[in-house]
Amino acid sequence: MMVQNTTEFSTGQITAGPLTAAQHKLSVFAGLGAKFRTLMAAVIMLGFTSTASTAGTSQIDAANNLVTQMMVEVESILAQDINNEAKRTEKVSALFDRYFDLPTIAKFSAGPYWRAADAAEKATYEAVIRDVIIGTVVRNFDQLSGLRFTISGSQAKGKKLVLVNGTFASLDAQQPPIAVGWRVVISDKASPLILDVEIENISMLVTQKQENIAIIRQNQGQFAALIDAMKQRIQP
Amino acid sequence: MSYQRLLNAPATALQTWRRSVPVLLFAAMLAACSATPDAERSDLRDPLENTNRNIFAFNMGVDSYVLEPVAKGYKSTVPDGGRRAIDNHLEWASMPSTALNSTLQGEFENAALATIHFAINGLTLGFADLTETPGAVDKRSFDQTLARANVPDGHYLMVPVLGPHSSRNLLGRVVDTVTNPLSMIHAGNVGSAVRTAQIPAGAVAFRANNFAAINDVKYNSIDPYARTRSLYFQSRAGKPGSDQDKNKTPSPADDQFDAFFDETIQ
Repeated sequence: MMVQNTTEFSTGQITAGPLTAAQHKLSVFAGLGAKFRTLMAAVIMLGFTSTASTAGTSQIDAANNLVTQMMVEVESILAQDINNEAKRTEKVSALFDRYFDLPTIAKFSAGPYWRAADAAEKATYEAVIRDVIIGTVVRNFDQLSGLRFTISGSQAKGKKLVLVNGTFASLDAQQPPIAVGWRVVISDKASPLILDVEIENISMLVTQKQENIAIIRQNQGQFAALIDAMKQRIQP
Repeated sequence: MSYQRLLNAPATALQTWRRSVPVLLFAAMLAACSATPDAERSDLRDPLENTNRNIFAFNMGVDSYVLEPVAKGYKSTVPDGGRRAIDNHLEWASMPSTALNSTLQGEFENAALATIHFAINGLTLGFADLTETPGAVDKRSFDQTLARANVPDGHYLMVPVLGPHSSRNLLGRVVDTVTNPLSMIHAGNVGSAVRTAQIPAGAVAFRANNFAAINDVKYNSIDPYARTRSLYFQSRAGKPGSDQDKNKTPSPADDQFDAFFDETIQ
């Protein structure tokens, strides 16, 4: 609530400043014809409109750049042809920590049970879900080999998210392309980070969340049961 | 004549009974299903969860002992070209259903395309795609026809061997099988054998084409049943006839993220 209020406040201030200046400029041309004034007003308003759309575009560009940059690093890891699982895990972990928004992933994937969890449970869960996700990526990393990712278009999803859409196409064109979307969290205060990947319209984070909720519900709403189940799963 | 019919009656009755056994067994099994109380369900869309979980465990057994090893062998022994030919044939065999359902859904262009693809590729029984526009036909099913007629999805059902379905999805599948014009053509023993082989071949091809993904769910999920259910529901969203398609709304995943951020901001 506080964040929302602050945002509205600052937006109001920014809008009020230039409008006053614009009105002042218009008064300078008061002695000129009405058509000229209308034209000037239109030009100034156009200036505001384009400024507003540039702000949206820059966030979309930032999200696109993030995904592009990450894919360059993925290709680089694939090119190194690492067969050692520990080394691959190390590389993927570094990639995950740099490009993914772990706190938001943890919060979202725990569903409504996040609120009921205590601070220690939240911290443990965050560490465990990180290992679960990294384990999944490491196991499936080879499947990215021989594929090229191309961004096909991006769109803002509300105030906080940009969905970067694209396709993984096989280099030999033998397989049909796979539609992939990256949900990127955008913020004025921090760098964009990836929250979710959607493959053929199936969100991996929503899948994880529904699986997590199923486990908690089956254990009479105990958040600790989910942590235990995850720990068991990631045990070597 | 009536004497002959009387003599044949027991044999005919036996045949009918034999054909009905699987249907009766399945009906008896569904009748034995008791609704899982709300508090015990891990997902409110799954009122038969306890029974569904038992059937899922059975299906995983079938997969481990039959489908997974066969699909593994199929992947390693049949070359890519051969597997593509089988995929093409299975796709071709579904074209009459697509044509029929596209017509029912008022998508006449898709119906015409499906008919043309079926006719042209019929020269090779669908094993080779001779058209210049492979993949141009959008697959349509009776399930989607029912969805467009606003028939609700119904309960989530885990069907023995066939896997996850909604009640409407299962009904649509039965109707598609029965009304497929291919099943009405009598092409002798060879035709009959080809049609009979399509069901297991389809299952093996599907398992082989999604080998790593299915194995990841099966062996690495914390709760494979819940993960399968989530994947099933998400894969149905956005399909023709779904609420998302009809209302041109964002995906259910978008709704969940919107709700999450609204809550977070508050």
